Amino acid sequence: MEKTKKITLLSNFLAIAIVLNIIEASIPIIPVPGAKLGFANIMTLIIIYIYSFKEGIAISILRVVLVSLLSGRFLGPTFYMSMSGVLLSTIMMGIFVKLDFFGPLGVSAIGSIFHCIGQIAAGIFVIGSVVVLAYLPIMLFLSVPTGILTGIIAKKFLSIWRTVY
Amino acid sequence: MKTKSPLQKKRDLILVITLFLLMGGVFLVYRMTAFRGESASASVYYGTEKMVTVDFGLQNVNIVSKQAVENKYYDLYGYNQFPYHDVEKNSIVLLGDYTVRGVRQLVVVSYDFEKKSMQIIDEKSPNNICSKEGESTGFPLICLPNNIYVRFEQERQLEV
Repeated sequence: MEKTKKITLLSNFLAIAIVLNIIEASIPIIPVPGAKLGFANIMTLIIIYIYSFKEGIAISILRVVLVSLLSGRFLGPTFYMSMSGVLLSTIMMGIFVKLDFFGPLGVSAIGSIFHCIGQIAAGIFVIGSVVVLAYLPIMLFLSVPTGILTGIIAKKFLSIWRTVY
Repeated sequence: MKTKSPLQKKRDLILVITLFLLMGGVFLVYRMTAFRGESASASVYYGTEKMVTVDFGLQNVNIVSKQAVENKYYDLYGYNQFPYHDVEKNSIVLLGDYTVRGVRQLVVVSYDFEKKSMQIIDEKSPNNICSKEGESTGFPLICLPNNIYVRFEQERQLEV
């Protein structure tokens, strides 16, 4: 019963993350080619807090693969940038949740910063030049308010979750 | 599931304020100092390969390398080679990687010797980020879906 409940919930979280990712991709908020601010990381953070890092990284990878398949960008340049950003941010968020030093807000801000670093690092390989580093300062600057926003949403979600479950 | 403590709340606040000030500071310093100097030349790349160099001092455009493209594109777009240097329009036409119904699309880069600037004036991509960048005198212009980018150099190019 518990296993079925977990699979159902994770499937729902994955569906929400995919929708968030698609919405984010259709709104070019930042003037950086191929890069996204990572609003879909809200679900990754929530999953890490509710379950563990293992479930968080599995859902994140599935999300990137499914969104790229749905948008026809699988194995394209933006796919590698998204995958790299998501992997790095999820690993960092997993570490900081485990350390239990910061709350969801702090962990989200850290995750957001590493999401940008991961994307730019992959961008260097995709473009084949360090020219993409020129975008790093603007991305890092924008990642802080994004991380705060996703952190606030995740925090609110988790407090409601605690009262329900 | 972990429960949050008031101490974590305090740490979170300190962290986000520190990050905001730090990243904001880095960004401001970067905006005020980076890409301020005059560029001597600019290069247009397709992937990792340099295709064209534009020397602002000598007012010279040099096709360094040619794109290997399928024959159908010469007839389709009416150019005899890619990159194509359009002297009248002060522009360079390249074939990007972005496809519409299986057909690769053009990327048009204009240059201005007087302003020592480059601009991507026409391209097709999902968000048109590189053409929205407008005219640049130092900041790189990247068309990721088309696999084309423009970078500026402070020194004159050896090929010219």
